[in-house]
Amino acid sequence: MRLLLVEDNERFAVLLKRGLAAAGFVVDVLQTAEQAIAALRANRVEIVVLDLGLPDADGLDVLGDMRDRQDATPVLILTARGSLEDRVVGLQRGADDYLVKPFALEELVARLQALLRRPGNLLGVTLKLGNLALDTVARQVFIGDRPILLSPREIAVLEQLLRRSGRVVPKNLLADNLYGLAQEVGSNAVEVHVHRLRKHLAEVGAVVQIHTLRGVGYLIAAEKMKC
Amino acid sequence: MLKFRSVVSRIIALHLLAIVVTSICMPIALDLMLNYAARQLHHRALRDRAAEILQYLDTGPDGALRLSLPATLAQFYSEAYGRSAYAVLDPSGRVLLSSLPGAAAITPARPQTKRFEYFAARSEASEVFGVTVKADMGGQPLMLQVSEDLGHRDVLIDDIVDEFFTRVGWITAPILLLLLGIDVVIFRRALRPIVAASALAERIGPARTELRLPETGMPNEVVPLVRAVNHALDRLEEGFRGQREFTADAAHELRTPLAILRTQIDMIADRELAGSLREDIESMSRLVNQLLDMAELETFVIGEDEIADLAAIATEVAAYIAPLALSQRKNVAVIGTKRPVQVRGNAEALGRAIRNLVENALAHTSPGTTVEIAVAGAGELSVLDRGPGVPNAEREHIFRRFWRSDRRRAGSAGLGLAIVKRIAEMHGATVSVADRQGGGAIFAIRFAAVTDVDTALEHQLETVL
Repeated sequence: MRLLLVEDNERFAVLLKRGLAAAGFVVDVLQTAEQAIAALRANRVEIVVLDLGLPDADGLDVLGDMRDRQDATPVLILTARGSLEDRVVGLQRGADDYLVKPFALEELVARLQALLRRPGNLLGVTLKLGNLALDTVARQVFIGDRPILLSPREIAVLEQLLRRSGRVVPKNLLADNLYGLAQEVGSNAVEVHVHRLRKHLAEVGAVVQIHTLRGVGYLIAAEKMKC
Repeated sequence: MLKFRSVVSRIIALHLLAIVVTSICMPIALDLMLNYAARQLHHRALRDRAAEILQYLDTGPDGALRLSLPATLAQFYSEAYGRSAYAVLDPSGRVLLSSLPGAAAITPARPQTKRFEYFAARSEASEVFGVTVKADMGGQPLMLQVSEDLGHRDVLIDDIVDEFFTRVGWITAPILLLLLGIDVVIFRRALRPIVAASALAERIGPARTELRLPETGMPNEVVPLVRAVNHALDRLEEGFRGQREFTADAAHELRTPLAILRTQIDMIADRELAGSLREDIESMSRLVNQLLDMAELETFVIGEDEIADLAAIATEVAAYIAPLALSQRKNVAVIGTKRPVQVRGNAEALGRAIRNLVENALAHTSPGTTVEIAVAGAGELSVLDRGPGVPNAEREHIFRRFWRSDRRRAGSAGLGLAIVKRIAEMHGATVSVADRQGGGAIFAIRFAAVTDVDTALEHQLETVL
C-alpha cells in the first residue's frame, strides 16, 4: 500500500515512516509542498498524509492542487495547529480526515485503513475484526475459517460497522445505506436489524461487540472494549 | 438648562434665538431709520421752500420788505389752500410779512444761533411743522418761517413710515425662518457622511477588524477624528493579529515535539513502560491543548452570520468521544430533541465546550454509567452524569481557570470548565451546574435566543417591505 507522507520535521517523518511501515504501508517522505505537488502530478499513490505546516507553503495548497486536477486520492491532514477554524477549512477544501498532533500511531493507522476501505476505493476487501471476517465481494461472513449465515440486511449493517470499526456509525447513515435516501424508514427498523445481528454474532461466538450509543449510532469493537 | 445632543438641534436652537432677537431688533432699527430718513426729507423740503421764498423777497423803493411771489406759488401759500404758510419776522419778533390771517407769526420768535432751526407748533386743529431760517436782506437781519401742516404732509412717506410694521416689518420673521429651513437642510447634507460613517463604525468589531471609516466626503473638521479612529483600529487589528499568530506558532512549536515523543512511545516494545509513558504524554497533550484553546479563545470571534445546530453538535461530540468512553467501560448518549436547534454561534467552538463537559463528566463517573447530552428546543445543551455531583460550596469556583477540587488528581489542569464558560460567554449563553435527580450533576449551557431561521427571514422581509 503506497503512501505519501508530506512532513517537514525530519525526525517526526522518520518515526512515522517507521511506524507506518510496520503497519504495512510503503512510505515515501517529502518535505516541501513544491516537491509534493510535483510528485503527486507524476505518480499515483493510494493515500496521502499531509502536514499543514510546510516550510514553503500551506499543506492546503497541495490538497488544492490535487482536487483541482480531479485527483480523488484520499488525503489525511496532520496539523499542529488544530485551531477552531482549521478543521472546518481542511475538510471544506476536500480533505478526507483530519488529525491533530500529537496522536496515537494506532489511531493514524486505523484512520488510514478506514479511508482505504471506503467504497469505490478498493474492491474485494476482506474486513476483519477479532475472529470475524467479512468478504465484501462474496458477501460472506466468517468466524475464524467457519462461514456463517446472515441475512443480506444484516451483512449490509455489519459491513457499514466494520468499515468504520472503532468509530461511531450514525444511525441515520445506517438507515440511508439500508433503504436508500428516498424511503421513509420506520424509526426502529435499524434497531431491529442491529439487534438481530448482535444476537446472531453472539450465538456463533464472535468476539466482537456492537455498542449502542443511544441517540447517536452504533460502534463495533473487538471484545476488549466492553460496555 | 436644556441640553441639545445633536449638532443640528443645537444649531436650530441658537438659530431660533437669533431669529427672535433679529425679528424684534431689525424692524425697530428699520423704523427708526425710516423715520429719520423721512424727517430729513421734510427738512430738505422746508429748506427748499424757504430758499424759494427768499428768492422772491426784496426791499421795495420805500425801504419796506416786499414779497412778490409768482401766482402759482402765491396760490400754494394761500389761506384757501391752507397747507403751507410763511412769515417773515425781524429779530425782535415783529411780523413783517405773513401768509397767515391777521399777519401772525407761525410760531413766536426765539433767539436763534443756527441758520436753520426746526419747530413744531400745535394749534387746536392741526399740527404744524416748520423751519426758521436766518437770512439777511441788504444788511437787515430777518427770520423767515416756513411751515407745513402735518395733517396734510406728504401722504406717501407718511403711509410707509406709519404702516411699516404691518406692511413690511412682518416679512423679517418668515424670511429668517425660511433661511433656518435652508440651513437645516444644508447641515443635514453636510452631516450625512458622518451618519454613514457611524453606521459603518457600528459594524466594526472583533469579527470585522478590517473595516475603516471613509475619509472622502467627510467635512474637513471631522477628518482628523476619522483618521485618529482609523489609526486606533489599525493598532487594534495589529494586536489581534499578533496574538493570533503567536497562538498558532505556539501550537505548532508545542505540538510537534509532543507528536514526536508520542510516536516514539507508541513504538516502544515494553508494553508496560509504553502504557505509563502514554498516560503521561496524554495528560501533557491535554494540558497543552487546553492552554492553546484558552489562548485562541482570547481572540476568537464568532462570525456575524454563523449558525450552529445544537442537535448536530451533540451527536457529533458523542460520536467523537464514544471510543474514549467505551474504552473506560462507560457510554455516551444523546437525548432530547432530534430536530435542528439553531443558535447564532460557532459549531466548532460549541463542540469543544460540550466535549470538555463530557470529558469532565467521564473523569468523574464510574464504569458502567452513561453520560448523556441533552438537547432542548428552547436553546439548551446540557450534559448529565451519574457522578458524585458538585458540592454547593464549589459551584462558584469550578469555572475558574486552574481550579481543581482535588489537586492530587493527575491529568487535569482545571482548564476544561473555564474553556466551557468562556465559549458560553462568547455566545451570550450561560453555563450552570445543578444536582441531578437520582444522583449526579447537570451542566447546562443556555442560549439567550434560538434562531428560527424561517421567522428571522420573515421578520427581515417584513421590515424591508
